[in-house]
Amino acid sequence: MDYIFDIFLISISAALINNFVLYYFVGICPFIGVSRRVDMALGMGGAVTFVMTIAVFISWTVTTLVLMPGAPVSRWVAGYFMSAESAAGIDLTILTYIVYIFSIASSVQFVEMYVRKFYPPLYKSFGVFLPLITTNCAILFACLTVMSNIVGVENPTDAWDLGRSLALGIFGGAGFTIAIVIMAGIREELDLCDIPAPFKGAAITLIVGGILAMAFMGFNGVDIGIKALLAGAP
Amino acid sequence: MTDLPTPFERFIQGILPENPVYRQLLGLCPTLAVTNGLKPALTMAAAVGVVLLSANIIISLIRHLLKPHLRIVVFTLTIATFVTIVDRLLAAYMYQMSKTLGPYIPLIIVNCIIICRCEVCASRQNILAASADAVGQAIGFGLALTGIAVIREVLGTGMIAGFQIMPAAWPSWVIMVLPPGAFLTFGLLLALVNWIDATRSNKKG
Amino acid sequence: MKPTLKIGSTGAFGRFRNSNFAQAWLILVLALIFGSALAAVQVNLSGVIAANKLNETLERIPELIWGTAKAAKLASENASVDITPGTVMIKKDHKTAYYSLFRVIHESKLAGWVIKAGGQGYADKIEILIGLDPGENIITGLFVLEQKETPGLGNKIIFPVWRNQFIRKKTNTPLVVAKGNIQAPNAIDAVTGATISSRSVTGIVNRTIGDVKGRLTPETIRFYERQL
Repeated sequence: MDYIFDIFLISISAALINNFVLYYFVGICPFIGVSRRVDMALGMGGAVTFVMTIAVFISWTVTTLVLMPGAPVSRWVAGYFMSAESAAGIDLTILTYIVYIFSIASSVQFVEMYVRKFYPPLYKSFGVFLPLITTNCAILFACLTVMSNIVGVENPTDAWDLGRSLALGIFGGAGFTIAIVIMAGIREELDLCDIPAPFKGAAITLIVGGILAMAFMGFNGVDIGIKALLAGAP
Repeated sequence: MTDLPTPFERFIQGILPENPVYRQLLGLCPTLAVTNGLKPALTMAAAVGVVLLSANIIISLIRHLLKPHLRIVVFTLTIATFVTIVDRLLAAYMYQMSKTLGPYIPLIIVNCIIICRCEVCASRQNILAASADAVGQAIGFGLALTGIAVIREVLGTGMIAGFQIMPAAWPSWVIMVLPPGAFLTFGLLLALVNWIDATRSNKKG
Repeated sequence: MKPTLKIGSTGAFGRFRNSNFAQAWLILVLALIFGSALAAVQVNLSGVIAANKLNETLERIPELIWGTAKAAKLASENASVDITPGTVMIKKDHKTAYYSLFRVIHESKLAGWVIKAGGQGYADKIEILIGLDPGENIITGLFVLEQKETPGLGNKIIFPVWRNQFIRKKTNTPLVVAKGNIQAPNAIDAVTGATISSRSVTGIVNRTIGDVKGRLTPETIRFYERQL
């Protein structure tokens, strides 16, 4: 039961309270660039969520099995070249960023092939934005958050397992989708307004984004309340 | 083949006319995230500058060996390596700042500025032009970050890097150092830059 | 200008040359070079980084045990203070919790303990150091290692004027955050406008002391040598 509560907390936190776009400032480029129409925004949000989940899965697996200090696979391989004690101390975390960015690039390639084969009109409407998901900060940020909850913890039992990591991936992507769809809806209305010339385009989007961020600040501290509520639950 | 810009032109273009943040709208994630103080902003600008310069030099050295369909892989590998090195150096010699900047240093890998400059300049021109381009763009990036950071920190806390600027009676606009302040400041500054640009081109034409 | 070998491009060697392996030779060479560079960085810097992380806490320990004045005096006298890091394993309700701690020994006597604890604050995680006397009866100090609370409001938990409230509080009863009315011996005055941050820190202190008090025995603690 505790596990379910923990997953619930991570999900709500990633989607609303610490929203990736409006709190952590990742994924700003598509937020400003792709949010002109709601259907495109929804498509982009869905694609990012999909890629994020796959990327987080790969990151968690590789980190736990190969990269973290004392990881099983590295230890086993190193055992052939050095004594068992030195092998237990093997630490490949220096390769983390390279491994992550290439796993993200591969995930995007995979999703691209999948979409091209099964949803050709969707693939055409995405155009160049699909490969650009590789440079979306939000995905790398999700992977880095997972890493810091595996490698950076004091307490080995606190290290995140696959379930928590996937929850972060799926609901972080959901939060991104929520933010970008709200922005798209607002921008569709803004198209009918008389915006002063200097503000047209990115500037007004940023200001609207600021107001959205203010609104989402209202979620601050909700996770403490939920935690207290769940702790008091039978 | 059209004439590519000279090194000096690359340098000057990077600072204002082709400013990576205000004109090209690239690298917005660190622009909003680390500008709540002057010191983090300058450290981030320096880190991006170092990675940009190193990546440009390496790519420019091997530009004739790049195969078209593998060049993005080469760019990514180079950038990721230099970002790892910079991240480790910061953690070793500027530990507190490294903790403040947190996950935004590794996010330099997906910073569009660096990949864009590698693609547009470093893979086509010699080392001198590539270095000049890197330095120019880094200065432009630094100027953009500093502008936003100064406004956010002064209005939000009344201080800059520890020095009290505003009188003690100033009620700190805390929202400026929080996420909404970042969006609003950058949006208003971008509008200002657009307006200045439009006025100048009206005067000319 | 591609590097070419003057051997025919047909036949087996030609297929090899045009294969993905041959076309990726640049990437393989780069990977080797960069890999060596990264290995060099790792070998040289990982010790420095680990030391940074440890020193961040070690610097605080004397003043958490003895207070700022006496800690400064001991430092100027170059007194030998033996600080040993360790982990304590607490088993309760079928769950195991680990806490990082430091044992402080001065003039061959146990001077106190410093426990590292963390929990959820208003905005993000808060990490603190709690100083306890040798008998684990009173709190001798509190320091906030990491916090991301609201600047100007919750942020104020880092200032000594608020943290010093915890000094000399007894550990036998849980501490309670009260606004204004701080007569009771276990009451902590909240930061104005930041009740939640104050409650978070107090909650972390209560939980840690509840877990650790009376359980700091050789059976539960594992010490490790400090690598400088």
